[in-house]
Amino acid sequence: MNPLRQHVLQETRRFFFGRMSAGIGTAALASLLNPRLLAGGGALPSQQEQIASLGEMLRLHHAPKAKRVIWLFMADGPSQLDLWDYKPTLAEFFDKDLPESIRMGQRITTMTSGQSRLPVAPSVFAFKQHGQHGAWVSELMPSLAGVVDDLCIVKTMNTEAINHDPAITYIQTGSQIPGRPSMGAWLSYGIGSPNQDLPAYVVLHSRIAAGSQTQALFARLWGAGFLPSKHQGVALRSVGDPVLYLSNPDGVDQADRRQMLDGLARLNQKRLEEQGDPEIAARIAQYEMAFRMQMSVPELTDISRESESSLEMYGPEVKDKGTFAYNCLLARRLAERGVRFTQVFLRGWDHHGSLPQSIPQLCKAMDQPAAALIKDLKQRGMLDDTLVVWGGEFGRTVYSQGTLNKETYGRDHHPRCFTMWLAGGGIKPGIVHGETDDFSYNVTDKPVHIHDLNATILDCLGIHHERLTYAFQGRDFRLTDVHGNVVREILA
Amino acid sequence: MHLRRRSLLYAGLLGVAFPAGAEQKLDFGRDIRPILSNVCYKCHGFDDKIRMADLRLDTLAGATGKLESGATAVVPGEPAESELLRRITSADADERMPPPESGKSLTAQEIELLQQWIEQGAEFKPHWSFVTPERPALPEPRQHSFAAQNPIDHFVLARLEKEGLAQSPKTGKATLIRRVTLDLTGLPPTPQETGEFLSDNTPEAFEKVVDRLLRSPRYGEHMARYWLDAARYGDTHGLHLDNERSMWPYRDWVVRAFNENLPFDRFTVEQLAGDLLPSPTLDQLVASGFNRCNVTTSEGGSIDEEVRVRYAVDRTETMSTVFLGLTLGCAACHTHKFDPVTQKEFYQLYAFFNSAADAPMDGNALSPPPVKKLATPEQESQLKTFDEQIAALHQDVAGMLAAIEYTDPLDTAAPAGAEPRDYVWIDDAAPPGAQLQGDSEWKFVTKDDGEVFSGEKATTRRAAGLSQHFFTGASPGLEVGEGDRLFAYVYLDPADPPKEIMLQWNDGSWEHRCYWGEDVIAWGGPNTASRLSMGSLPKVGEWARLEVEAAKVGLNAGSVINGWAFTQYGGVTFWDKAGIVTRTPQDGQGFDSLAAWEAFERTQSQSTAPGDVKEAITIEPDKRTDDQKKRIRDYFLQQVCTTTKPKFDPLRRQIDEFEKKKSELDAAIPISLVMANMPEERETFVLVRGAYDKPGEKVTAAVPGVLPPLPEGAPADRLGLAKWLVDPQHPLMARVTVNRFWQQYFGAGIVKTAEDFGAQGSWPTHPELLDWLALDFVESGWDVKRLQKLIVMSGTYQQASKVSKELAARDPENQLLARGARFRLDAEALRDSALFVSGLLVERPGGKGVKPYQPQGIWESVGFQGSNTLNYEADGGEANYRRTLYIFWKRTAPPPGLMTFDAPTREACVVRRSRTNTPLQALALMNDVQYVEAARKLAERVMLGAAPGSAGDAGRSPADRLTHAFRLAVARPPAPGELAILEEIFQSHLAKYQGDKSAAEKLAGIGESKRNESLDPVELAAYTLVCNLILNLDEVVTKE
Repeated sequence: MNPLRQHVLQETRRFFFGRMSAGIGTAALASLLNPRLLAGGGALPSQQEQIASLGEMLRLHHAPKAKRVIWLFMADGPSQLDLWDYKPTLAEFFDKDLPESIRMGQRITTMTSGQSRLPVAPSVFAFKQHGQHGAWVSELMPSLAGVVDDLCIVKTMNTEAINHDPAITYIQTGSQIPGRPSMGAWLSYGIGSPNQDLPAYVVLHSRIAAGSQTQALFARLWGAGFLPSKHQGVALRSVGDPVLYLSNPDGVDQADRRQMLDGLARLNQKRLEEQGDPEIAARIAQYEMAFRMQMSVPELTDISRESESSLEMYGPEVKDKGTFAYNCLLARRLAERGVRFTQVFLRGWDHHGSLPQSIPQLCKAMDQPAAALIKDLKQRGMLDDTLVVWGGEFGRTVYSQGTLNKETYGRDHHPRCFTMWLAGGGIKPGIVHGETDDFSYNVTDKPVHIHDLNATILDCLGIHHERLTYAFQGRDFRLTDVHGNVVREILA
Repeated sequence: MHLRRRSLLYAGLLGVAFPAGAEQKLDFGRDIRPILSNVCYKCHGFDDKIRMADLRLDTLAGATGKLESGATAVVPGEPAESELLRRITSADADERMPPPESGKSLTAQEIELLQQWIEQGAEFKPHWSFVTPERPALPEPRQHSFAAQNPIDHFVLARLEKEGLAQSPKTGKATLIRRVTLDLTGLPPTPQETGEFLSDNTPEAFEKVVDRLLRSPRYGEHMARYWLDAARYGDTHGLHLDNERSMWPYRDWVVRAFNENLPFDRFTVEQLAGDLLPSPTLDQLVASGFNRCNVTTSEGGSIDEEVRVRYAVDRTETMSTVFLGLTLGCAACHTHKFDPVTQKEFYQLYAFFNSAADAPMDGNALSPPPVKKLATPEQESQLKTFDEQIAALHQDVAGMLAAIEYTDPLDTAAPAGAEPRDYVWIDDAAPPGAQLQGDSEWKFVTKDDGEVFSGEKATTRRAAGLSQHFFTGASPGLEVGEGDRLFAYVYLDPADPPKEIMLQWNDGSWEHRCYWGEDVIAWGGPNTASRLSMGSLPKVGEWARLEVEAAKVGLNAGSVINGWAFTQYGGVTFWDKAGIVTRTPQDGQGFDSLAAWEAFERTQSQSTAPGDVKEAITIEPDKRTDDQKKRIRDYFLQQVCTTTKPKFDPLRRQIDEFEKKKSELDAAIPISLVMANMPEERETFVLVRGAYDKPGEKVTAAVPGVLPPLPEGAPADRLGLAKWLVDPQHPLMARVTVNRFWQQYFGAGIVKTAEDFGAQGSWPTHPELLDWLALDFVESGWDVKRLQKLIVMSGTYQQASKVSKELAARDPENQLLARGARFRLDAEALRDSALFVSGLLVERPGGKGVKPYQPQGIWESVGFQGSNTLNYEADGGEANYRRTLYIFWKRTAPPPGLMTFDAPTREACVVRRSRTNTPLQALALMNDVQYVEAARKLAERVMLGAAPGSAGDAGRSPADRLTHAFRLAVARPPAPGELAILEEIFQSHLAKYQGDKSAAEKLAGIGESKRNESLDPVELAAYTLVCNLILNLDEVVTKE
């Protein structure tokens, strides 16, 4: 190690510990300059350290089953009726009105509340049973059907929100109204990340695929809300720098940057001696971390050394930056590097019309890479401690929006039941949890609210969702607001 | 976590104030309430709905009353008889309070405090911030050092004395002028300003600087940006499509209000209720836009009432956070657990905002009503002139209409023009204006050398594969009416028939095609209007009429065809007579018969006639009113009738011209969202658990009972609410306001939780000082500039910010103010300062938000396809260098450079930003083109020598130049050791760029601003990189 850096780090540690002993360590220092990491001098985190808490929580609430989470976020609400929630008896109800006994006067969006009727649209897609446990999977997802024994399919997800903006804000932050921290930010705050050269929470946006009917996303969905802003998700970008402002300007190479940073560190060190403000020590360390990120991030996104068989597994689009396939591969690489929470967004499931014509193409973009991620993690022995989640903010209605005939239909938003799946760390594989009625309209058994899902995800990571809190504006806030029950039945 | 921290904080402060073991008088508000509030009030507090064991610990009566069990929780003076103490110390897990499932616990020290408090008599006091402050006596500190310059210092010094601490010495003059210039204007001082201050040894030197800064227009820009966080100002709606919204006149009003030193009571009233003031001025209406800054949606499927409720809740919460320093959000769903505000009282406050006139759906519009257009007097008078000119012309038209005696040349009731007929457009020649084209020339034949159907000639074509002849540019074009059909005659040679024939039309595009025969011509999309199949080929060896409905090939009523193509695949064809089956007059001809025109109009569902005329025509002539008859006649004579229309055309052209100018002017006039109430008040109900569709008890507008009532005679509306806030007796408003200003200078408020003055908020570090400042502020007439001056003129403010070992250990957060504040600049000041020292800053005040440099894909990767803020198009030029305050703020994807430095998203009210220190910030300052370009311009500036306005002449040596750059950035020259490092780094950069000229060229060319070509790019690159280093120095990004 270069002697200067050693010195800087020692200084930093000294101040860090000095502050902690005074009991007022700033959040910024606490997780970025974790003493365990400094002691290790930047070496790869050991297994033990990956499990231990590196954030504000001094220790985990219980033994974790998962060390990290990858959430394949299917934004805009995929149709459970055409993908997972098989309803064979619906065929008889083709174009018949949804029985009032099912709807029970529940509110529906104003996009269909003006329709004179709510005619039932059975899925045009064929379902088959797959795997040991014989879960029904639509023909649209042949690859996921192949890994169904690794999945825990939850058919009874539900939420209250019926429109995109509030619904996606709700599942991501626990509140329909903007301003709360996202799950990833809570994790960054609570348990940090063992890899200090990469953010604890990484967001990947997939390019809009064919067959998409797409809504917007919002920076708040991976925002830190009222938590210190360093906990916000960092979007790894597919255009330009993967991390904002990562590359040196044209005409400046890494050696120049090193020289400049050496000068900067020496001058800042002088200032530190002069002023005594521990914040200067922290800043010196941040510049060193920035420098390390300039090397670690390009290494992360360089997939040239992936084996051909790996690449093949994710499908033909894997080498195309920004595709869902590429992002799934990147998610695995992030998981390998210890990143705590990765969210891959795939937009386009808002199939209000022409669903049978659109959804096959989008499934094609989604199916193979999602299944490949499961297989890849499993092959590497990482599925045991990586929790993979698949799903979006709500589901879609059994009744058709707009034109309904034998070839086509559309589906409106449906919050009362929808399907997600979980796999890996801490989750029982090869089960289907919960049941919905014959119209996939209401939950009939074992409802799982989005708060319950979030509580369960935290539980897998060793966190009690009621105990990861932050005092703000006079009360203790948490991800699950005042709700949420861990779904014990799906835990391994 | 916070629990641990909170108790440590109290321990820390108390430990200093009251040595362990000493029996000091405890203060209920400071020492006891926070413990009860945090640990007990959730179940034993103000909310009677969830109160357990009928015990409340927030009032004396509640705590000392006999419980059902027979015990008494608190017996003043008798710890041993107090059930509370027994339960919190009980060894029995079933008895012990707080119960484990609450997740709360008490420390030994907290238990001891509770015991002491009961021993001392268990005094209850109302929460301090709900009690109207009284002017405290000025403490007389023993030490009279430099710092006792104004009353602020008396309070601070008195406290320091109590703690046994001394203040820090006065900071150096260079640091001081940089500090105050940054604090009052958001920019550093120029070397000249610094030089003048350094050489001014009069006692008023600093005051002169302060007065100058308070007069600077930069002051208002700087103060405004704090306020805009609180007001949640943005340039987009913030939800769903997140389209652009026109709100910037409000932003500019805020800047002006600060610069003009609008008293803060008026500042408040005009924003909360400017629209309700008697005959409000334009400015007051714009100010009321404060209430319209909330995020809005137009998402399809939303339920209006749900959305409307959210807006009103947001407005209520924003008002309470900003002006009351209370976070009442919890009370939307249930009675506040910690502060004495019931759910009902929340909805009584909400009722003030519940009659807002804006629609729940913003329509994704730039200016969803109510809005105000903000014409300048010149624009107003110009608009008026246009209106007068237009009116005069209409008068002329009316005069001419009255003078015409029209008799219909047709006297039949069923005019001939009402039935569709063939209008032949192409026969022996193409129509006028047509430019004949084709893959070979048009070939005409007569009966002597080919087949002819009509007239003298036909066209013919022999082809091996795809071949066509066509024209474009015919004028006048063929006017398509409703139900019209296009036709052409064709003869296919029986000896060599084509595989396919196709007709195509051009109305600006050629995507209107139909074909007969095989589908071998691959233009357009199959089975669409761009390639419509009409069936098999017609019979060969005879003339056939081809006909197609115009609408089927995408030519709807109103289309004008200017081109026609005859296309074939192989074979020999003859084409003749082609046109349209229509009722519409063609060839520029119109109607001279009113009856004929009316008959035609009745067949058309769309037309150019205005709606009222169109409607009148559908009425039987004898059932029309006189007015309807006149409308029809006037329109016909002016705009249709071939004999009279030409007389009106010049006037109409003038009218159109004026209308166009007027609408152009109108579009250029700024518009701003303003607040307004519905004509009738909307009823307000308590919403059960905050759900919009579960109305409970009906309520009317009122203020919470724990605070003073509305002033006598004040209306129960927003205006009354605003007047209530600024009433001198109000216990919160002035305290909350001075605290927020204080926070700007010291990094933390006297009450650290600037947004929460309630029971869960921080206890003020200097309660008397806060009260003194608040009362002084009100008595001064809410004079904002005077308050700023008071703060910066204090000795407390002017202390050195050096952190001694002792202070770092005793008071790491500098709560006692034994030293000057030292913290990182906010996002805006960072960027503005870099632009300023480099000489790039463009100080143009106000206007629409600008779009400077932004990395690719920030908007695009999240945007809605169809949003008008999906694609970020940088404005280029000056926009890159305007003050940060003026950057266009898209709320779902805010400016990334600002987000990196803790700027809020502006989706909700924020009165206190977090302040972090991250590697992403380092990357931004090192590599963002904005900062690298600033480094390059700073390098150019020092290489060129003394810039106008800078003190002294920068020399030519690297040492001189680096010294100059350093001084520009931090207002002091580098120490010899510092300069040596800068020179060393410069020399190594120089060596590198001497060996790599192309790298030098690249770095020297960064950014849009022109590079000074007279400078050597190698040297410039080396200086640029050192200036990049300088702009990254901790001292540069920090206010010291």
